[in-house]
Amino acid sequence: MIFTANRYLRFAGVAVIHFAVLATPVKAEEVPAAIQDILFKNCLQCHDADSEKGNVNLDRSSIDWTNSNQRALWQRALEAIDRGLMPPPEKKSLTSEERKTALAFLDEKILEHTAIGGTLPRRLNKTEYESTIRNLFHLPEFRLPAGFPNDTNYHGFNNVGEGLVLSPPHLESYANIARHIADEIFPPTKPAPEKKTWSAGPEDMVLSFSAAGVHGNALRLASRSVDIMRSCSWPSKIEISDSGTYKITVDASKFLSKSGSPFEGDMMLEVYARAVTATDRSKVSDFRLLKKIAVTSEEPQTTAFQADLYEGETVLFHWKNARMTHDPPATGEAFEVLSKENPRFLAAWLKTVFPSGDPKRPIRISNLRGRNGWDTVSKYMADPDLDLTHATTDSALAQAFFKLAASKGKASIADCLCYFYHTRGPAMEIHQLTIEGPSKRIESPIDLKRRERQLKITGAPHKGQAREDFVRGMLSSFLPRAFRKSISNDTIESYLNIATRHWEKGHSYEEGMHLLFRNILISPRFLYRCLDPEGMDDFDLATRLSYFLTQGPPDETLIDLAQRGRLSATRPSRTDPSKVEYWVLRRETERLLPTSHTDPMIQSFVGQWLDTDTLRGIMPDPKFNFDETSIDIAKYETEAFFTEILTKNLPITDFIDPDFTFSSIGFVQRNYGFTPSKYLGKNLNSAAKQKLQRLEIERGGRHGGLLGQSAILTATANGVDTQPVVRGVWVLENILGTPPPEPPENIPALTPDTQGTITPREMLAAHTSDAACAGCHQHIDPVGFVLENYDPVGRWRTEWPGKTATTIDASVTLPDGTEIENAIEFKAWLLDNIDLFSKCLAGKLMTYATGRVPNYAENREIEEIVKKNRENDDGFRDLVLALIESETFRTQ
Amino acid sequence: MTSKPHSSLHTVDRRHFLRSGAATLALPALEAFSAHGASTVAAGAKNFVAIGTYLGWHQNAFFPEQAGHNYEMPATLSPIAGLRDEFTIFSGLDHRAPNGHGAWSNFLCGQSPKSYSLDQKVADSIGAKSRFPSIQLAAGAGESDTKEGNGISFTRQGIKLPQVQRPSVLYKQLFTSKADRARTEYLLRSKQSSLDLVLDDALRLQKSLPSRDREKLEEYFESLRAVEKRMGRQLETINDPVPQPDYELPSYDPITPNLQIEAEQIMYDLMTLALETESTRVISFFLHGLGQVFSFDGKALGSGYHGLSHHGNNPAMIRDLITIETAHIHCLAGFLEQLKAKKTPQGKSLLDDTIVLVGTGMGDASRHSNANLPTLVAGGGFNHGSHLALGGSKNETPLLGDLFITLMQRLGIEADSFSNASRNLNQLFS
Repeated sequence: MIFTANRYLRFAGVAVIHFAVLATPVKAEEVPAAIQDILFKNCLQCHDADSEKGNVNLDRSSIDWTNSNQRALWQRALEAIDRGLMPPPEKKSLTSEERKTALAFLDEKILEHTAIGGTLPRRLNKTEYESTIRNLFHLPEFRLPAGFPNDTNYHGFNNVGEGLVLSPPHLESYANIARHIADEIFPPTKPAPEKKTWSAGPEDMVLSFSAAGVHGNALRLASRSVDIMRSCSWPSKIEISDSGTYKITVDASKFLSKSGSPFEGDMMLEVYARAVTATDRSKVSDFRLLKKIAVTSEEPQTTAFQADLYEGETVLFHWKNARMTHDPPATGEAFEVLSKENPRFLAAWLKTVFPSGDPKRPIRISNLRGRNGWDTVSKYMADPDLDLTHATTDSALAQAFFKLAASKGKASIADCLCYFYHTRGPAMEIHQLTIEGPSKRIESPIDLKRRERQLKITGAPHKGQAREDFVRGMLSSFLPRAFRKSISNDTIESYLNIATRHWEKGHSYEEGMHLLFRNILISPRFLYRCLDPEGMDDFDLATRLSYFLTQGPPDETLIDLAQRGRLSATRPSRTDPSKVEYWVLRRETERLLPTSHTDPMIQSFVGQWLDTDTLRGIMPDPKFNFDETSIDIAKYETEAFFTEILTKNLPITDFIDPDFTFSSIGFVQRNYGFTPSKYLGKNLNSAAKQKLQRLEIERGGRHGGLLGQSAILTATANGVDTQPVVRGVWVLENILGTPPPEPPENIPALTPDTQGTITPREMLAAHTSDAACAGCHQHIDPVGFVLENYDPVGRWRTEWPGKTATTIDASVTLPDGTEIENAIEFKAWLLDNIDLFSKCLAGKLMTYATGRVPNYAENREIEEIVKKNRENDDGFRDLVLALIESETFRTQ
Repeated sequence: MTSKPHSSLHTVDRRHFLRSGAATLALPALEAFSAHGASTVAAGAKNFVAIGTYLGWHQNAFFPEQAGHNYEMPATLSPIAGLRDEFTIFSGLDHRAPNGHGAWSNFLCGQSPKSYSLDQKVADSIGAKSRFPSIQLAAGAGESDTKEGNGISFTRQGIKLPQVQRPSVLYKQLFTSKADRARTEYLLRSKQSSLDLVLDDALRLQKSLPSRDREKLEEYFESLRAVEKRMGRQLETINDPVPQPDYELPSYDPITPNLQIEAEQIMYDLMTLALETESTRVISFFLHGLGQVFSFDGKALGSGYHGLSHHGNNPAMIRDLITIETAHIHCLAGFLEQLKAKKTPQGKSLLDDTIVLVGTGMGDASRHSNANLPTLVAGGGFNHGSHLALGGSKNETPLLGDLFITLMQRLGIEADSFSNASRNLNQLFS
């Protein structure tokens, strides 16, 4: 954009000059001779009006500093000189005197003409909108519908004004949600439900793991585990749409074993009501018991009963007194009993589990899961040549097997045993289910909740209060919270009008209110934040603070402070009486700062700053053995790490080289290849290995700190290969705060050849040998390449993969000329230059908090804050507090 | 949980009149819908359907070994072998986009992921003539998936469009009942009558703001106008006779990912109805793939769909993957056959009037490569019947976008570029 504007300027140059001379006062200021000399000697060879290399023309005798495009152009020039990008390496560089003069001049002029502030009106982004609805309407479970349009990232964040475009699909979605919310508070009267009949046979029931199996015309259950996915079945294709009383009919029978100890007495079948959307990890006790049925015969018996079912429910079957449980000790005992009854059973299991005959070397038990295991066991059982040598319950092999079956975490053995019961019995058989109704409508718990919610939102009128007066009063307390602003009487009346006009047309009270709420929810006052002709007031400050720190709207305390104009109260600073401190703002910040790694601000900011929110889409190649759980642990590490530094006010250098991390011992051993010293030589059980915790580590090592964390190293690779350029760009953007310009078009991404014929190092060298690429890549490549010892999931490696292994040489020369060997030395370099990182982090926080990319003047304020903070112990929490008190934060 | 798509396959078949052609639409005469646009259809196709998978198509079972007319039908495409003359297979096409999952969503977008997609471009040109400018559908994604949903349709502004996953929801939109229509009409009319008050308030607010903020708020007013216009259009047609097809939806929505194949069959039936009743001209259908384990003929596959796509050349996993992909094509076959059997009021087959583009943005999921995208075009009145192998030197090989240009032209849209493509493949169909 900038460059197009310059082109226009050049094109229209002559006309502009004439116009200026004749009519308007000249806004452009003459460029001092000394500066013109420097430009002429060093820059204009490429950047004059004729060559205009890279679309940059610096050939000006005067500059209009009030023009933001002009300022942006010269700011780029300043940064290029400051960072040593220009003049390019092959050209003569500026003398230090010239450099100083040029930088001082540009800095002064740009600063003089750049005002602090400038956030565009921002609509609430997805997360903010969702949490605002939850809050305002007492709908803690509210979630945006699956297809709600996504937010667009701008400078790495999804809450920046420029990126938050509001398009027709957005407004349509807002309108749909508004209707949904209005339906929740003032539900439209439903037509009388039609009577329906649903039927389900064995084929229509859910088979979860090995909980049930279909045999002939029956579904068979075997276990009474409380985990429904291991013991129960339910029809997935029935979903009640109207809460009411239904007639439920079940055909069930006993399936008894032909051998072994007989099953005495009745089989008790329990029928529960299960929400269709409930997770399969639910327990039986999570559901409502509808009926206990005693199944007495081997012939199908029909039981019919009446029960209440609510909207969204189906029924679930559980065999209450099944012989089998999934408890490990009981599983071991069950095997012992069955083995005594049938030596062939035992022999087949032993052959399956100990194929080598060695009791110390069982197969991987998870391989037995489901039918796979049972197929093998039953094949052996049918084998006439089955070796029965060890098939006595007291043999060493049998004892080892029973012990294994009785140990924790071996549910696959029990799952496999289900198949035995399904085929041999005893099992519960279900043949048919019918649900008919409703015979009567009932108020569901959901309906009840709706009524309570309505009362919370609108309150109730006094006796004899006129409808209009009641709603006026309701609006005067509701709208300031919904619009996060003090609301004029005019505005209240214009919203009240929506309802009154509707009533006048003969619609009911509920219909008028329904319409009113639908309209409040699509008002720009609700959808946007901080719309104010006068800049920020206390409400806007409360709003900015709250969405920054909690992702949600201001709470009662903040609204109250804003209403009383107290949030921006100041008093003379205790450390420097010539300055003021925003003590209420500071106190509120301290109250709202996140304290846990699961807090929304941590999840949102860390995910977006460090790109760890992309992890779930990466799906690393199976060869890395990095599954969903690993991704969870890796994300936890980075988030808990950030939280620790924030809440404990640890120095900012700890982001780079800390003496702690958060993970599990198992993950650290597996992925990082070391054991924290405290745990060396200790024998840990699997629970201890999986426990997520704070772990002490050595400073100055390979792992620890952002650059050694799996989450980040995975997010900057693609799940298959490392991409040094991607990592380099990432480091420049998110660690050093010096993002490179956009890459030229038509350049395909560098895909390393894993065949190993050309090393990534050689491929990368191509960048810097081509002058066109070198300009940027001499900055990008080193800081990405130095991380090559980390593989695509963050494990340390010393060789590149491929047919012919090549030793990794990650040594690079940093743009400032420093030569470093590897990532460890890079971390040391960062510690020496910690302000680069601190400024970058502060800038990211500010972008995220204010919804705008800090401008030149704001960056200057940020730099000052960073510097002052470093001189005072460099605590990260202190930095955040100082940033929130800054003029940049407090300005619209 | 396991699913049994095959066992339910024949129940779906039985229930759905369309394949047997036994029932008819209870329409006020189908010809009544032919009033608009009759003179332009002779030039080419009228409808556009794009179908894309998330996890790609296993190349070796999708691309025939031979180029030209006499190719041997590859395994995945075997269910549509009987329709050989109704489609063309393309190999060698792609968008020259970077690799990895990140670029996946560019199936219909061209080189840049998440930009203006082909279906939306088409809808913006020809969609306004029908009740629904475009319809976006998905199967297999699951509603409890908390991740940012994937998708293939993006507006001009790069906003991903919502997708309908529940057949019952699509059915309700297409063929609303009288009670639902009365409710919709009430909601629309009351909204319309109150909008001026919100608008007045918003305009007062806007006027008070500084100029930059005022401009930004224009997005709101533009969107509001667009929604108003749409409401107006909905109200205009709300009392039109809505076709009431003799079609019985199953009593449940197959939205859990392992019922994906069943969902596809029902969606294809509804898509046929939507096109036949001219409710829409543009449909995109996204076939997602997560960890769902499918069962066929009562036997569970060895691994989840996504796991199988990372087959690492393990023959057993490839076999299972092809089983799933063949099931997708089996459903597609039903769709193409229905379109072929239906006649437009002009006497053309609906298939000749409808371009069906089948493809993906993922060239090879096992390697996360986005090159050489499996692509197939059916219908649209093109000269079909061959496998066009468009290999060659990287710079000379046409882009998938070049094919898109041809498709747009066929739909009567004056287009000579798409994303990074600016040629076309018209010559290949002549």
